[in-house]
Amino acid sequence: MTAYTPPLARLIEQLQKLPGVGPKTAQRLALHILKQSEDDVEALAQAILAAKKQVGFCQTCFHLSADKTCPICRDQQRDNKTICVVTDSRDVIALEKTREYHGKYHVLGGVISPMDGIGPDQLNVQPLVRRASFPEVEEVILAISPSVEGETTTLYLGQLLRPFVRVTQIAFGLPMGGDLEYADEVTLARALEGRRELVNS
Amino acid sequence: MFLRRLHLRQFRNYTDQKVQFEAQKTILVGNNAQGKSNLLEAVELLATLNSHRTSRDRDLVQNEQTTGQITATVERKHSTIELGILLRKQGRRTLKLNTETLRRQMEFLGQVNAVQFSGLDLDLVRGGPEIRRNWLDALVIQLEPVYAYILQQYNQVLRQRNALLRRLKQEEMRSLSEGEKMQLALWDSQLAANGSRVTRRRARVLGRLVPIAQEWHRLISGAKEQLEIHYTPNVPWTQDNPEQVQQAFLSKIEQRRTAEKYQGRTVVGTHRDEIELVINNTPARAYGSQGQQRTLVLALKLAELKLIEEVIGEPPLLLLDDVLAELDPNRQNQLLEAIQGRFQTLITATHINAFDAQWLNASQIFSVAAGEVSNF
Repeated sequence: MTAYTPPLARLIEQLQKLPGVGPKTAQRLALHILKQSEDDVEALAQAILAAKKQVGFCQTCFHLSADKTCPICRDQQRDNKTICVVTDSRDVIALEKTREYHGKYHVLGGVISPMDGIGPDQLNVQPLVRRASFPEVEEVILAISPSVEGETTTLYLGQLLRPFVRVTQIAFGLPMGGDLEYADEVTLARALEGRRELVNS
Repeated sequence: MFLRRLHLRQFRNYTDQKVQFEAQKTILVGNNAQGKSNLLEAVELLATLNSHRTSRDRDLVQNEQTTGQITATVERKHSTIELGILLRKQGRRTLKLNTETLRRQMEFLGQVNAVQFSGLDLDLVRGGPEIRRNWLDALVIQLEPVYAYILQQYNQVLRQRNALLRRLKQEEMRSLSEGEKMQLALWDSQLAANGSRVTRRRARVLGRLVPIAQEWHRLISGAKEQLEIHYTPNVPWTQDNPEQVQQAFLSKIEQRRTAEKYQGRTVVGTHRDEIELVINNTPARAYGSQGQQRTLVLALKLAELKLIEEVIGEPPLLLLDDVLAELDPNRQNQLLEAIQGRFQTLITATHINAFDAQWLNASQIFSVAAGEVSNF
């Protein structure tokens, strides 16, 4: 590490802690930062700090939010009869990009995984139960990845919520534009499992 | 199917070795520790993505190197395919089919099928149940690649359930809270759902294998011995339907609840299945000589060969690692007859004179010394 002067070494070390950043990328980013004007660097540092200090969780749905209640929860136009349950904020962002869903969300903050010491108490489950029991809520959609842990979480939430609200699970199957013959067997098997009656529309 | 070319780079003791196969039978001759078994191991990896000698990729990569590579050209009935496995001392493998990188190992499995028969296989008879489970699982994966995924899911459920049971055990012997009971019940039903998939597929494949193995065993032993193979799952079931089998799991879990709580781990499930090998009503482990045990293993291997051919529609490769010389002339001929010209066979041996003249005539012979393969 003698090639780096200590402040540069420290910067590279910090950048390397970020996900997806290896030693080479860290070095490239660090050298780029040094080339930028002091104003730009100041803006970057401020933005990082401000985001960290200001962004917390929406107290209703636990999506990342700078306000106590996130814009999605505040939005009067959105349908509050449906709650879509996802693992983390990334999933909210992905679903919002489709612009096809107009209900509300609920972010669990993880999935049940005893190996990692995560049980229902470590997730935002109790607030979900409270929300789902409000009279205006008609449906809870579970949109959790079909891993062993995700399926267990889906199973758990289903048992918990079904007594007082309609619970559905998103379908898993073939990607659009994908040829049947290129799909792997597990995906095909799931798609078959989730088949449904052909209806006229 | 026919393995036409094999290229090993920085794999075990091979630095850069190409081998071109020309005959249905290939004999690799050389002293011990020269690389004969390493070559067969490479073929085993192409077929199963597993090695029976190690579970760590860093053992497969040549010393001092960070990556190793196996590439192969395989002629199948309707097409010729190129396969590649890039092994890393640290990190995951990269799998390639016709230069395209595959995301799932399942897409790679089933491209080459092989049956391996080595001296270690006597452990099938003598060793513990785990060895027989692994053997059966490897066969099921070759026949139904989706089973690799099912097994992986089952093992993940097992790890998670064990973690939960371990944690609950630490809570001493107080009775469980409602929430803990509910959590445990979730993993119970996951174990039942995934275990039922595992056990039903094991039973189905064994059901097809057994009659073929019995027939071979009768032939090789000269009808003097009667072979029986019993699948004894840890959770017994009778009706082959998912709900019934899952129900059997749940009942057994309920029965063993106290034992699991006390031990802090899962004692019910397919990770405790046994496959019993019985000759003339006596457990094969306790029965007879080494020769008789070898007859049994040979019958199992020939049955695998037949079953894979039946299901896949193409004859698989046969890998004989140092076992031929151990067979007496009668069994050697049985084997020869079974293989005929149909199965491409790779054979390793330390001496050429152990072979029958019939074998030698029809074979391509290589000598292997210090990680180099050359014409004999």
